[in-house]
Amino acid sequence: MPKAFRIAIWLGVAVLGALALGTVALHRGEQINAMWLVVAAVCTYSLGYRFYSKFIATKVLMLDAQRATPAERLEDGRDFVPTHKWVVFGHHFAAIAGPGPLVGPVLAAQFGYLPGTLWILTGAVFGGCVQDFVILLFSVRRDGKSLTEMAREEVGRLGGLVAYVAVISIIVILLGVCALVVVNALKASPWGTFTIAMTIPIALLMGVYLRRLRPGKVLETSTLGFVLVMLAIWGGQWASQTPAVARWFTLGAPALAILIIVYGFAASALPVWLLLAPRDYLSTFVKLGTIALLALGIVALRPTLHMPPLTRFIDGSGPVFAGNVFPFAFITIACGAISGFHSLISSGTTPKLIRRETEARMVGYGAMMAESLVAIMAMIAACVLQPGIYFAINSPAGIVGQAPEAAATAISAWGFPITAAEMHALAQSVGEQTLYNRTGGAPAFAVGMAHIFSHSLGGQALMAIWYHFAIMFEALFILTVLDAGTRVGRFMVQDALGHVWKPLGRTSWYPSILATSALIVGAWGYFLWQGVKDPLGGINSLWPLFGIANQLLATVALCVATTIIVKMGKARYAAVTLLPLIWLVAVTFTASWHKIFDPNPRIGFLSHAGQLASVPGSNIRLIFNDRLDAVVTGTLIVMVGLILIESLVEWARVLSGRKQARVRESPFVTSRFATEEQG
Amino acid sequence: MKYRSRNVEAADASGNGPLGKSAPEFPVKLGSRGFTRPLSVLVAALREIFDESAYARFLNRRQVASSRQAYAAFCRESEEGTARRPRCC
Repeated sequence: MPKAFRIAIWLGVAVLGALALGTVALHRGEQINAMWLVVAAVCTYSLGYRFYSKFIATKVLMLDAQRATPAERLEDGRDFVPTHKWVVFGHHFAAIAGPGPLVGPVLAAQFGYLPGTLWILTGAVFGGCVQDFVILLFSVRRDGKSLTEMAREEVGRLGGLVAYVAVISIIVILLGVCALVVVNALKASPWGTFTIAMTIPIALLMGVYLRRLRPGKVLETSTLGFVLVMLAIWGGQWASQTPAVARWFTLGAPALAILIIVYGFAASALPVWLLLAPRDYLSTFVKLGTIALLALGIVALRPTLHMPPLTRFIDGSGPVFAGNVFPFAFITIACGAISGFHSLISSGTTPKLIRRETEARMVGYGAMMAESLVAIMAMIAACVLQPGIYFAINSPAGIVGQAPEAAATAISAWGFPITAAEMHALAQSVGEQTLYNRTGGAPAFAVGMAHIFSHSLGGQALMAIWYHFAIMFEALFILTVLDAGTRVGRFMVQDALGHVWKPLGRTSWYPSILATSALIVGAWGYFLWQGVKDPLGGINSLWPLFGIANQLLATVALCVATTIIVKMGKARYAAVTLLPLIWLVAVTFTASWHKIFDPNPRIGFLSHAGQLASVPGSNIRLIFNDRLDAVVTGTLIVMVGLILIESLVEWARVLSGRKQARVRESPFVTSRFATEEQG
Repeated sequence: MKYRSRNVEAADASGNGPLGKSAPEFPVKLGSRGFTRPLSVLVAALREIFDESAYARFLNRRQVASSRQAYAAFCRESEEGTARRPRCC
C-alpha cells in the first residue's frame, strides 16, 4: 500500500476519533448516541496499537523475531506449546476477561458517562495495555516466570514478598466483593436463585457426558450445557410463579452468603472436579457468547445514553459509593483500564504459549484493548438506563430508605425523576418483586443488557428472560472466579506454609488442604459477611478496597517493569511504565488516605467507626469492621511504599553506576520460526 | 520456509496417527495457510480455550487413542495446573 495512502487512512482515523471524543466530552444538555463511545473507543485503540505499542515494541523492548521463546525452547506438548498468535490472543482474552470490566464501569456511571469513559480509554492505552504487554514480554524472556519471581529477582527479596502479599490480599478482597455482588443479585429472587441452583445438576450432567459418553468433546458438551441453562432460565420463570417452589428459592442475603461460603469451601477442599471443571467450561462459553452478543446488540440497536456526561455526584456525595471523582473513579474502574490482576495472567500460562517474541505485542497489548472495549460496553449498558432507574437500583437502603415511595422521592429530589409505579412496572417486566437497593452493579448491568437485547432481539416480551440470562451469566461467571480463586489462594498459602513445616506444603495432605481452605474461605467469607451486614450495602466500602488492592498490584507490576527497563539500559524510555506508575501511586495513595482518614463518615473508615462509637448501643461488630478495613488498607499502602522505595534505590544504584545492570533473561537462542512470514 | 510443529509432523507421518479418527485435530495444524481463514482461527482459539487442543496434545504425547481412560488420565494430569491458574477479576 502506498505510504501516502496509509498516512491518509491514519489521519482519517485520528480525525474521526477526535470528532467522536469531542462529541462524547463536549455535548451538554442533550442525549448522545452510544455509538459515539464505540467509535471513540475503536479509533483510540487503533491509534494506540498502531503507534504507541509499536514504539514500545521497537524502541523500548526491542522485540526480536530471531530470539526463541520458551514455548519453542522448552516445548513439551503440555505447558510449553508454540501456538498461533490468534489462538493465544483468544486464550489470553478469555483468561483476563472477568466480572471486573462489567461491574466497575456500572458503578462509576454514577459520575456520568464521561469520567469513566475517558479513564477507560486513556488508562487502557497508556497504562493497562502497556502493563500487560511489558510483563508478558519480560516473562517470555524469563522462561515464563511469574510476577512474584520476577519481583524477587529483579527488584529484591522485599519486592518478592510484597508481590506475594499483594496477590493474596487482592484474591481475598476480590473473592469477598465478588461474592457480595452475587448475593445482592440473587437475594429475594427465586428466579435467579433457581437458575443458578440448576447449574449444579447441569454441570454434573456435563461432567458425566464429558467423561463417559464423549471424552474430550468440551465444546460439544458446553453447547449442550448452554442449552440446558437456557431451559433452566425458562424454568426459573415457572419456579418464581409457583408459590410452593418459589418459597424454597426465595433467600435473604445472609442465607445466600452462608451458602456461597459453604460452596467456596467445598470447591477448594473436596474432590468435586466432576462439578467444577464442566462449570468452568460452561462459564467461559457463556461469557464469550454474551460479550459477543452484547457487542452485536449495541451495534444493532445503537441506543441513546440517558445518563448525563457528568452528574452532581462528582463532588463525592454519590449514593452508589462515596468519594470524589478523583481518585475514586480511577480505582472503581480497574479491569477495563488497568488491572494488576492481569499481570498474573501475563506471567502465567500465556508466556508459555507465545511462538514468537514479536507476537507479544498483539497478545499483551491487543487483548487488553479488547477487555477495555468490554468495559465501554458495560458503561453503555448502565447509561442507556434512565438515571432515576439506575440510582434506584444501585442506591442502598441506608441512603434512600426501604420504602419504594421514599426512595423514589429521594432520587427524584437529586434531579433524576422516577416514580414508585415506574420501578414497580420495571420489576414486574423483569420478573422480580423489587429492583430497589440491588447494589453491586450486576442487577443494573442486567437491566441495561436486557434493555439492549429486548429492543434488538425478541421485543419487550423477552425482557424478563434477558434480565435473568444476564444475572445467570454474571453469577455463574463470578462463582467460577470464586472457586478458582479459593483454590489458587489455598495453593499459595500451602506453598508459603511449606517453608515453615513441610507437610503443610503438600497439596495432597488432607489436614493441610482443610486448614488452608478454611483460612482462605474464612478470610473472604469475613469480608462477604461484613458486606451483607453493612447498612450501606457493603459495596460502598468493599469495592474501593478491592480497587485499591488491584491497582496496588498494578503498581508492583509497573515497579518490576520499570526496574527491568532501567537495567536494560533503556532508562530514557522508562517513562512508558513510569508515568502510569506515578499516576497509580497518586490515585491509590490518595484513595487510601481518604478511605482511612477522611472526616466524612461515608468515605473514611475511621470517621465512620468514630461516628458509630459515639452512638450508644451501636453494633460493636460494625465498628470493628471499619477499623479492620482501615488496617488492611494501611497495610497494603505500607507494603507498596516499601517496594517503591526498594525500586527507587535499585534504579538509583544502576543509573549512578554503583551497581552493574544485569537483567536475568534466559540466554539467547535463535528461533526456528525466525524466517516464518508474519501471518 | 514455514515451520511445522513436531506434533503435526508426527501426526502427518502416520496419517491419522495412533489417535484414530476420533482424535481431535491439533490447533497447530492450522498454523499454515489455513489460518488466513477467520473461521479456522476462531475454531482453533475455541479449542485451545476449552482444552480440546491440550487433550489432543496429550493423546499425541502418550501415543494413545481417545477413550474414557485417556480422558480421565488427561484430567488427572491437568488438574493441578488448572487449579493453580487464577481467573481474572
